[in-house]
Amino acid sequence: MAASVPDHVSRLPNDIGGAEAGPIVQVEHELLPWEKRCHALADVLDFRKIVNTEEKRKGVEALGETLIGQLPYYERWTVAFANILFAKGLLTPSELARKMQEVEARFGPPAGEAASDAAAPAGEPAR
Amino acid sequence: MPHDHDHPHPHAHDHDAHAPIVEDAAPGYYEVMETALRELLIGKGLITAAEIRRQIEVLDSRTPALGAKVVARAWTDPAYRARLLEDGRAAVEELGITVYDDTQLIVLENTETVHNLIVCTLCSCYPRPVLGLPPDWYKLKPYRARAVSEPRKVLAEFGTVLPEGVEIRVSDSTSLVRYLVLPRRPEGTEGWSEEALAALVTRDAMIGVVPVTLAQEAA
Repeated sequence: MAASVPDHVSRLPNDIGGAEAGPIVQVEHELLPWEKRCHALADVLDFRKIVNTEEKRKGVEALGETLIGQLPYYERWTVAFANILFAKGLLTPSELARKMQEVEARFGPPAGEAASDAAAPAGEPAR
Repeated sequence: MPHDHDHPHPHAHDHDAHAPIVEDAAPGYYEVMETALRELLIGKGLITAAEIRRQIEVLDSRTPALGAKVVARAWTDPAYRARLLEDGRAAVEELGITVYDDTQLIVLENTETVHNLIVCTLCSCYPRPVLGLPPDWYKLKPYRARAVSEPRKVLAEFGTVLPEGVEIRVSDSTSLVRYLVLPRRPEGTEGWSEEALAALVTRDAMIGVVPVTLAQEAA
């Protein structure tokens, strides 16, 4: 039997052109305010030549198929930005963890949930 | 199969029933992360808060009405149409539409014999300066996967059935090159004003999944 290259070897997770897929459901939604801020952040990172569109896409791809499947669109971007900025040495994971705690603290008392896993964002999709 | 789902804001409804958290305030984990990233970058002087605010205004200013204006101008002004097909970016800039993401724009003209469809198989690249942000379905797996391999079936799911003889061309966008479909002008619109024509042109027609029709006016 001739060896054919399986899709998961020849294709990275974003490369789905021509793949089998179900019917198109014409969904859309008005962006939430934070999603729009995230989009603006992406654009500004691109304008400033800090993270360009292709780096962002590859950063999402680097999350791997499982996480890509679990996270919605702007959540994927956000985690990808964190990883890219760490890799470029512009931020550190502990800086981000501290800042996230600070941001969370603005919204009432801590709910006792772990907010300290920011440096390893590959956890639960929603908290 | 990754479930590219259609529920992009999980934390809006997932508060633990036992946690006495006020519904309005608590942002989700990723929203907190986005805020933290943005503030850290601003604190380091890598970006500014004013840039973010300006860009939000830019995003808010971009809607399919801009693309519709471009299409209506091309329908009514043959010289403009020629310039648009020659250099999409220069032609939309001529109408005062800035290409803020510094991408190339290629305008694809539908004719009696050729129908164009745009997609971004790898992610979600889209002619944002002229159409605004893409709809969710454009970013989800079924459209991205199937548009390039079975465009006729995809079009049929949007209610668009083309005669067998019509060639379908699918253009796959990249981070640097974006496409816009110039739909066919519907019959029965001779003598219409540019504004009246623009009102007929929908976002989906400029993606290429539906034609422009007179019926849409009433919709």
